[in-house]
Amino acid sequence: MIFDSAAVAEVLLVLKIAFLVLLYLFIWRIVRTASRDLRLPQESFVLAPSVAAGVQASRPGPHTGRLVVVKSADLESGEDFQLNSAQLTIGRGNQNDIAIATDEYASARHARFEPRQDGVWVQDLGSTNGTFLNGARLDRPRRLTVGDIIRIGETDLRYEQ
Amino acid sequence: MTYAGFFFALYLAAHLVTRYTVPFADPYLLPIAGLLTAIGLTEIYRLNPTDAFRQGTWIVVAVALFAATLFLLGRDYRRLETYKYLFGISAIGLLLLPILPLLGLTVNGARLWVHVGSLRFQPGELAKIMLIVFLAGYMREKREVLAQGRLKDWGPLLVIWVLAMLVLLETKDLGGGLLYFGIFLAMLYMATARIAYVAVGLGLFLVGAVGVWKVTPHVQERVTIWLHPWTTNKVYCPISGHFDLRQNCESFQLVKSLYSIGHGGFGGTGLGKGTVANLNGKEIIPDLNTDFIYSALAQELGLIGAAALLLVYMIFVLRGMRIALLAQDGFSKLAAAGLTFGFAFQTFIIVGGILRLIPLTGITLPFVSYGGSSVVANFVLLAGLLLVSNRANREMLR
Repeated sequence: MIFDSAAVAEVLLVLKIAFLVLLYLFIWRIVRTASRDLRLPQESFVLAPSVAAGVQASRPGPHTGRLVVVKSADLESGEDFQLNSAQLTIGRGNQNDIAIATDEYASARHARFEPRQDGVWVQDLGSTNGTFLNGARLDRPRRLTVGDIIRIGETDLRYEQ
Repeated sequence: MTYAGFFFALYLAAHLVTRYTVPFADPYLLPIAGLLTAIGLTEIYRLNPTDAFRQGTWIVVAVALFAATLFLLGRDYRRLETYKYLFGISAIGLLLLPILPLLGLTVNGARLWVHVGSLRFQPGELAKIMLIVFLAGYMREKREVLAQGRLKDWGPLLVIWVLAMLVLLETKDLGGGLLYFGIFLAMLYMATARIAYVAVGLGLFLVGAVGVWKVTPHVQERVTIWLHPWTTNKVYCPISGHFDLRQNCESFQLVKSLYSIGHGGFGGTGLGKGTVANLNGKEIIPDLNTDFIYSALAQELGLIGAAALLLVYMIFVLRGMRIALLAQDGFSKLAAAGLTFGFAFQTFIIVGGILRLIPLTGITLPFVSYGGSSVVANFVLLAGLLLVSNRANREMLR
């Protein structure tokens, strides 16, 4: 051996530490960048006054659209319900905006459609059999996109612009 | 050095294929898999260079299969759902392969291997993925009726389920049995959101575990090793037939592995400087580079390095679960969650076994352990997760 064994040990120690540091750096980088998409939707709630004024001026008003009946025991296929600024509720009860009295699988107050700034949202109101958006049961309010099929009991509605 | 260059080229190739076929997929999974495979390969090389060469060859095969999966299913993997029963039956078939007289091979008391010539393969690893695809497809279709709990709808599920368990009992693959059972319960919970099923399942598992423990000497031995690895008096040793301390007999492997982890201490001995062989140059711990690779790594990287390794696994699981949350349709959700859970649970079973948290069962540490079938299966699993996340992210951007 040409090398001094103490020097070799030192180099190895440095290499070992370097390896561990690199390993943790890798983890740090991933956690940093991966956690970024957790806060993407709302970077900050506070807007600069000029920006806020601009937002106020150009506010386009809530999204609108209409709901077309695809399949229902109660309603005519093709019948449509306009969504402008007001909420629409749907269910078996008569107090609903869209009443589907003969749908046995619907709850009295089943779901609500709400036009907001960022689109029309659908929310299940604690129904027994659930509200399905494109076949997936709603577990929280969802934003509709054009062509979405919403199923309430045995009634299918399609969201259109 | 050539290994490093070669490995880097391979990783680059995998990366390019991923960019081309699934451009919207989660960007963190492949680097994590690459890192784990590289750490594993390094440790295997340090323990036994010949094995490292074979492992390297297997990694090439695995990356090729990974690329093939992405190319074949890049457009729409959801047509797999149509073939769910085929997947369920093939999974059972694969699990049954090792029992066949000519093909099968028994290693360390478990009949898990298939050999053709000098090529050895563990079909159970791939069967795991097929079973997850089957469960995802079946539960997606029947989730509403499964939640209601009618016996009729449970039929096919239970049949495949009982078959899988019988096969595992026959092959004495305890780790595999535990893994499948865990995956089954987790996916059932995710599909139906009924905590009662999990409670019933765990109850059945306890009853079954006690039953198996009563009748199978193999299991009794494992539990004894787990609870009492050290004895102060000599006890009968079934391996040598003489009386000996248990740490020199049945629990030799586990005890030596614990000493080895202890030797590493906080900072570890450094790669290549750990004690893995005795003075005669013979390996102290049998199966060090497959089942026990975590103990070798924990010795050489120390607590801090082993913790980093577990953190890397945690990030992988976190990303996997995120993919499942983002996925739009039930099949993708269940498949991604099932694959991720299987991955996480397998890591837990082997690391928990080595650290004496649970009874030790031989199973590989994903991506790190030496073993061709394991590496291949894990790369296919990775391809599956990337496919699901590619689709979910593309839908989101639209």
